[in-house]
Amino acid sequence: MIRLRDVTWHHGALPNEGQATLRNISLAIPQGGFRWLLGPSGAGKSTLLRLLHMEALPRSGDMEILGTEIGSRSKRSTLARLRQRIGMIHQDFRLMPTLSVADNIALPLRLQKRMEGEISQEVDALLDWLGLVERKKARPVELSGGEQQRTAIARAVIMRPSLLLADEPTNALEDSQAARVIGMLRELSDLGTTVIVATHNDTLVQRFPAPALQLRQGRLFADE
Amino acid sequence: MNKHKRVRDGLALSRALPDRSLLTMVAAMSLLIALTFTAAVGAQSLSERWARGAANLITVQVPDPDKTPVTDSHTTGGTRIEAVLGTLKTAPDIVQLHRLDEQELDALLKPWLGNTGTAALPLPAVIEVDLTPGGVLSDDLVSTLTTIAPGTLVEKNDDWRSQLHTVARSLLFCAGLAIALVGTIGAAVIGMATRLGLGSRRESVTILHELGASDGYVARRFASRVAFLSFLGGLAGTLVSLPPIAILTHLMAPFSGNIPSTMQNGESWLSILKASLIAFWQGAAPQSLLIGLGCIPFVVTLIGWFTAQVIVRVWLRRLP
Ligand SMILES: Nc1ncnc2c1ncn2[C@@H]1O[C@H](COP(=O)(O)OP(=O)(O)OP(=O)(O)O)[C@@H](O)[C@H]1O
Ligand SMILES: [Mg+2]
Repeated sequence: MIRLRDVTWHHGALPNEGQATLRNISLAIPQGGFRWLLGPSGAGKSTLLRLLHMEALPRSGDMEILGTEIGSRSKRSTLARLRQRIGMIHQDFRLMPTLSVADNIALPLRLQKRMEGEISQEVDALLDWLGLVERKKARPVELSGGEQQRTAIARAVIMRPSLLLADEPTNALEDSQAARVIGMLRELSDLGTTVIVATHNDTLVQRFPAPALQLRQGRLFADE
Repeated sequence: MNKHKRVRDGLALSRALPDRSLLTMVAAMSLLIALTFTAAVGAQSLSERWARGAANLITVQVPDPDKTPVTDSHTTGGTRIEAVLGTLKTAPDIVQLHRLDEQELDALLKPWLGNTGTAALPLPAVIEVDLTPGGVLSDDLVSTLTTIAPGTLVEKNDDWRSQLHTVARSLLFCAGLAIALVGTIGAAVIGMATRLGLGSRRESVTILHELGASDGYVARRFASRVAFLSFLGGLAGTLVSLPPIAILTHLMAPFSGNIPSTMQNGESWLSILKASLIAFWQGAAPQSLLIGLGCIPFVVTLIGWFTAQVIVRVWLRRLP
């Protein structure tokens, strides 16, 4: 369960209402729900996803992620454990520059101290599914934008997250590949993962109908 | 340390930290600590020995030395000083007896009486008694002496001894302070190196944090690398300190009552070093010194570990 009530966020410490990036956001998404996150550039989509990923904490309002109340007084170890259950595909991918594609994808499982045998099985399956087998030893700088994006997608889903946050996860992919990826994210939500996908791609939205969260200038308009 | 199984979490710490400068600095600190510690142990053992020496020297003052002794058992017609000397000669634990002659008394009293000479004054006779180590003048003996020659003073050198102890304690305190200071500077250097490593891995650390790595995990990764480097530095510094320390203990041996030094004039430094190292190896150095030196790499390792832990955990606080 994801629940936000009256959440506000702005850059810097001082509240400056006119320039707040997110204003009075309230929403509730049940476990296993799928939501599109739509809105023009600069509306605050990435900021909202970063907030849900707890890369920043709300300046005001209440936030509940996967059943846990989040605030400035939350224990750091609690937040770390929650993050291990959240998959995030950043708009700028955020791959580990020193690691190969395979090691980047394996990272969440390594942090959970899974057995190496199990890890390589999961990694190989995803590499195969995303067409990255030949690039598995390459470093992020050696990859095309689409390859980087597919690596980021694989890293976000490999530990079967309870919450998946995807920030324009298909903008560097071909249409057919994009559709496959969104199809997989839909399947994940059918299996119980809550999925939120920010996108500009109207064709995809029409092809995979789902409730949408509309952001405009930091305000949320839900059309369900 | 994960030397065999590389941790593939992207931190690549073997290339993130200023390895060589950290190692060199920690080695230099360890060398300083080792030398300071050796000096402290040396000063301690010398002062102990001198204090023991002071305790072994006792002065006995006999007033009116030329009068006849009081007791009837010594009515052989001698003087009090002869009777006292006779009694002392029969006592156990005494290595040497020496009655100060007039010139020695003059020299002793000069600071108080000037050059006027002592002949005019009714001075007591002074006997220096050299006791075996640990030996004492029994109370019985002292009371016998005062009976033979009333007013006899037996003066133990307790003042001396306590002053020596004070000096030794002050020296130890200074050495402790110096070691603590060097340790603190070392921690600061290690802290700065850790901070530098964090700076160069800022992106990777942030990504790990976002993937759910705990503060403990990241801190542990940095701390074990830093501790490993500190250990190497500590080991290197301590090893480098061994030759000078071996020479020092070798040279000090005759003063602190250990194996006599076999050094001769004109001996080359190389052969001195060789002899010193051999003696050191064979146990010429006090055990407390060896234990202390052996602890240095481990203490430095601990300092490195804790410093890195604190620095990393504080740095991570900027990420929610
Ligand atoms: N750390 C920050 N410091 C200052 N301003 C910020 C910060 N993060 C976001 N903003 C501001 O918040 C607004 C929303 O940014 P955000 O990246 O969330 O938009 P978006 O909806 O993801 O846009 P796009 O579709 O282009 O990715 C922008 O105007 C941006 O300048
Ligand atoms: Mg964005």
